Amino acid sequence: MSLTKLRKPQNDDVTAAALLAPRSQRRSVITRRGRIGWAFVAPFGVTFIALLVIPLLYAFWLSLNTNTLAKGNQFTWFHNYGQAFTDPLFLEGARFVIVFSLILIPFQMLISLITALIIDELANKVARISRLLIFIPYAVPVVIGAIMWGFLYSPSFGPMGEIFGFFGLNAPNLLSADGIFWGLVNIVTWQWVGYYMIIIFSALQGLDPSLFEAARIDGASKLQIALRIKIPLVAPALVLILVFALIGTLQFFTEPQILRSLAGGAITSGFTPNLYAFNLAFVYRDFNYASTISFALGIVVFIGSYIFLSASRKKSGL
Amino acid sequence: MQPALKWYKNVAVVGLTLASLTLTGCAASAGKDGSGRAESRNLSCTNKIVNPDVEQVSVWAWYPEFESVVDEYNKNNDDVQICWNNAGVGADEYTKLNTALAAGSGAADVVMLEAAMLPSYTVQDSLVDLTPFGAADIKKNFSPGAWADVSTTEGVFAAPVDGGPMGMLYRSDIFKQYNVAVPTTWAEFADSAQQLKDNGYPGFITNFPTNGRAYIQALFSQAGAVPYTVDPDDPSRIGIDLESPEVLQVLNYWNDLIERGLVSHNDRNTSDDNARMLDGTYASYIAPAWGPGYLAGLADPGAVTEWRAVPLPQWDANKPVQVNWGGSSFAVTNQAPNPALSAKVAMGIFGSEATWKIGIEKATLFPLWSPMLESDYFRDLDYAFFGGQQINEDVFIDAAASYEGFTNLPFLSLIYDTTTEGLYAMAEGTQTPEETVTSLQKTFVDYAENQGFTVN
Amino acid sequence: MTSTTPRTIPQRTRSSRPNKSHSQGAGDKRSIGRNVVLIGLSIYFLLPMWWLVVASTKSNRGLFSGTAGPLWFDQDFNLVDNFLELFSQSNGIYWQWLGNSLLYAAVGGGGATVLAVLAGYGFAKYAFRGRTVAFALLLGSVMVPVTALVLPTFVLFSAVGLNNTIWAVILPSLLTPFGVYLMRVYAQDAIPDELLDAARIDGAGEARIFFTVALPLLKPAVATVLLLSLVSTWNNYFLPLAVLSDPKLFPITVGLGQWLQLSAASGAGQQLWNLIVTGALVSIIPLIIAFISLQRYWQAGLSLGSVKS
Repeated sequence: MSLTKLRKPQNDDVTAAALLAPRSQRRSVITRRGRIGWAFVAPFGVTFIALLVIPLLYAFWLSLNTNTLAKGNQFTWFHNYGQAFTDPLFLEGARFVIVFSLILIPFQMLISLITALIIDELANKVARISRLLIFIPYAVPVVIGAIMWGFLYSPSFGPMGEIFGFFGLNAPNLLSADGIFWGLVNIVTWQWVGYYMIIIFSALQGLDPSLFEAARIDGASKLQIALRIKIPLVAPALVLILVFALIGTLQFFTEPQILRSLAGGAITSGFTPNLYAFNLAFVYRDFNYASTISFALGIVVFIGSYIFLSASRKKSGL
Repeated sequence: MQPALKWYKNVAVVGLTLASLTLTGCAASAGKDGSGRAESRNLSCTNKIVNPDVEQVSVWAWYPEFESVVDEYNKNNDDVQICWNNAGVGADEYTKLNTALAAGSGAADVVMLEAAMLPSYTVQDSLVDLTPFGAADIKKNFSPGAWADVSTTEGVFAAPVDGGPMGMLYRSDIFKQYNVAVPTTWAEFADSAQQLKDNGYPGFITNFPTNGRAYIQALFSQAGAVPYTVDPDDPSRIGIDLESPEVLQVLNYWNDLIERGLVSHNDRNTSDDNARMLDGTYASYIAPAWGPGYLAGLADPGAVTEWRAVPLPQWDANKPVQVNWGGSSFAVTNQAPNPALSAKVAMGIFGSEATWKIGIEKATLFPLWSPMLESDYFRDLDYAFFGGQQINEDVFIDAAASYEGFTNLPFLSLIYDTTTEGLYAMAEGTQTPEETVTSLQKTFVDYAENQGFTVN
Repeated sequence: MTSTTPRTIPQRTRSSRPNKSHSQGAGDKRSIGRNVVLIGLSIYFLLPMWWLVVASTKSNRGLFSGTAGPLWFDQDFNLVDNFLELFSQSNGIYWQWLGNSLLYAAVGGGGATVLAVLAGYGFAKYAFRGRTVAFALLLGSVMVPVTALVLPTFVLFSAVGLNNTIWAVILPSLLTPFGVYLMRVYAQDAIPDELLDAARIDGAGEARIFFTVALPLLKPAVATVLLLSLVSTWNNYFLPLAVLSDPKLFPITVGLGQWLQLSAASGAGQQLWNLIVTGALVSIIPLIIAFISLQRYWQAGLSLGSVKS
């Protein structure tokens, strides 16, 4: 966007200024500045290394070993990875999160985009209040949200029967094998749409009104303005949401973990790769293979986001 | 995993000390118990320590009202104090225990474990053999079946606490209202189920919880199945036999009742199912001895209901077989700094009448400790919830006496999870009982071989 | 639009003025439709909260076999009893949990923000060797699954004796790679380099420049990062579940999770459903209040990351 173009010269100015200075002085300024830069980053960097890099290296090392119940520990190189990428439970879980993302994310984004556009457009009391109400679920911890929905889905004392009955329908059992997919889609949508909506909304608020004032005078309808002008302009916000949603969904864990105690048959131990890794490590005591599954998932997430990001970059010309 | 820990520890210590110094300017004050097991350990307990000057033993347990039991124990012991925490119920505690065992520290000295879970921990030498600490002295206090559940040829790995001999709890009002006889065999049970429905009862004779875990295994066992065996001389040689006629008989029986709409198949241990337990959806509950306490806990305090208890229906009325849903035990982990003292606690917590009375009256536990099990007090106890019925005498004491033990494999959690998934598919009608046992058999054998076991 | 701060000011005036004149002038039928859509959505998003409020007024009995249905109040109004029971159950451990969550969120979230502001500013305004690599590493780390970190973190804490202390929860929550990323993106635009150079020429030290020149300009981003890290700390479930065994140290999420287990597990015989529901309601109130009262600070900031993604 225009922003990137504006920013670039600024940085170049500094470099240019530095270039004008005598050689030796320039170098010392740069190294001194460099050291100060590191000093600013250092506290975070130390935390990052101690709490992320080292644990990850250790987990990686674990994934190269095989520890069986009967035979003990052996260093087996990439044997576990071979097993993971042919393990039906892992592949099934990976397939699930991918399908889940493909259905959930567009759905979520559509709702948050439409809501944001309406709220931005209406700008009345209804809009202000509903903006807040729609956002509130974000303030509810995921665990508590899942517990709540677990109650609500309960066929015997939840309100699903009443609500669907009101429309003359039979309530689906969202905790059954057939219903759990939509049950989870609903929970995640409820929890996150408000947050995404606010991101898009504030991007919309940042747009220059003169951009669509002209179109309006030319007789463009609100729908046309939204589709042709507003949405392309907030595309970066949409990309941001997509990345959030993609990473979050591929690592799907807490909701199925909580609902598992209510829908034990429908949510299997390998329901999502993260749940599988959790069960392997903390229930079946196979930490090595669990680490492997985590890394295998990491590889899938990384490739997924990379493909997506490069595709979206090309498209939106960012 | 041990060698990895060593280099890792060093790096971790350096990294983390650096981090904590830079970030908080505060040297971690809790860094004591990493290597040197100092006498005054920095234990934090839920209970109040009565006698602060003596050594403490940390205990994890999830019995209800356990704090009073701990207080009672601490009052009466001046050489050791229990420092108790509830580390989660069942699977939650195992999660924590597994993590701590893998990390090499962080586990409690004494942990409550379901007896069925013991092989899963002994296989990796995570538990201390209690034999050198006087296990033989307490053996006389337990039935052979209860003792078999905690010991192997290699040793005694826990002290038995409570058991789950099974019976049938039923709603006398429902059976009366619809004029149906209370069954004593499984054949009669199926007939009663049909009659209840024919006579207009809108609920189900019982529920078949596909997530029944130990319950399912107990049903297999009652039919005479021996699905799992372990070679006593070489624990890495195991047997898995899910495709036996007995297992199939049990699954066909329940599958048929489900298909005929006579039995529901809801997950148990959910708020939903708790509601159905009380609202008359189920006319009976095939229950372990702690089931009555569970039911009573769901109802209003002090409620008197139409629930009554009878012995478990039998396959053959002439040859009754009693089974055990599962109870729990206290084991000493290999991280306990003082195994002798920990063993004393594990064997002693429920080794007195006083603690047992709390356990029975407040937590509705079923004692395996024979001085209590065989006491007049326990036999004659009447339960208000059961309209004053002496359910121990009528049902559970006999059931416990003839229980002979059950062999479990060291990967029980996987067996339970997979069985739950398989039975759910069967109950939903997506696979037949035959397909279910075939796929269970295959999954277990594959897993076992992958884990280095020799199967059959 | 070189920075987010100035652009938020003119937009306020625009969003209200031209729109209103349009929709009122036309008596727009579709605007009614849009209002209805919004109201419908609000009801959907509010419904579970309404259920929670209603359910928290019920006893266990009312929850399972109440007469008025799940979406309306029972005859016997039990809210006060439930509330008082939160104080009496296990010596009021619920409030300890709530306090712990506040502490973890304040120290962890606050600390994370401090680290993120420093690092983000450093990344944005100093060209040092290894910056690109370090930043790429940081971006990549956003994708690390939590489960992959729990076990090794546990081992690490176990080695230095931090398990089952508050630090086992606080230290890991100091890490917000995404916060650093936001900060960097924001700082790059919000703080003109000329301003820093001018301050340097005036002889100000780098630390002084940071506190007097940079920090005030970073305010909206600080509010946003603080909010995000508060929320994620408050949400924390899996790691505390693994590293804490003393119930007195639990955050509210783990505590309520344990009550859920206790109530559902057979044999444990404790029915705490009414407390779980009331406890859940009480626990989300502080966050909702924080969100509503801090609305104008975070709202502009949330789209920060999208200016360059």
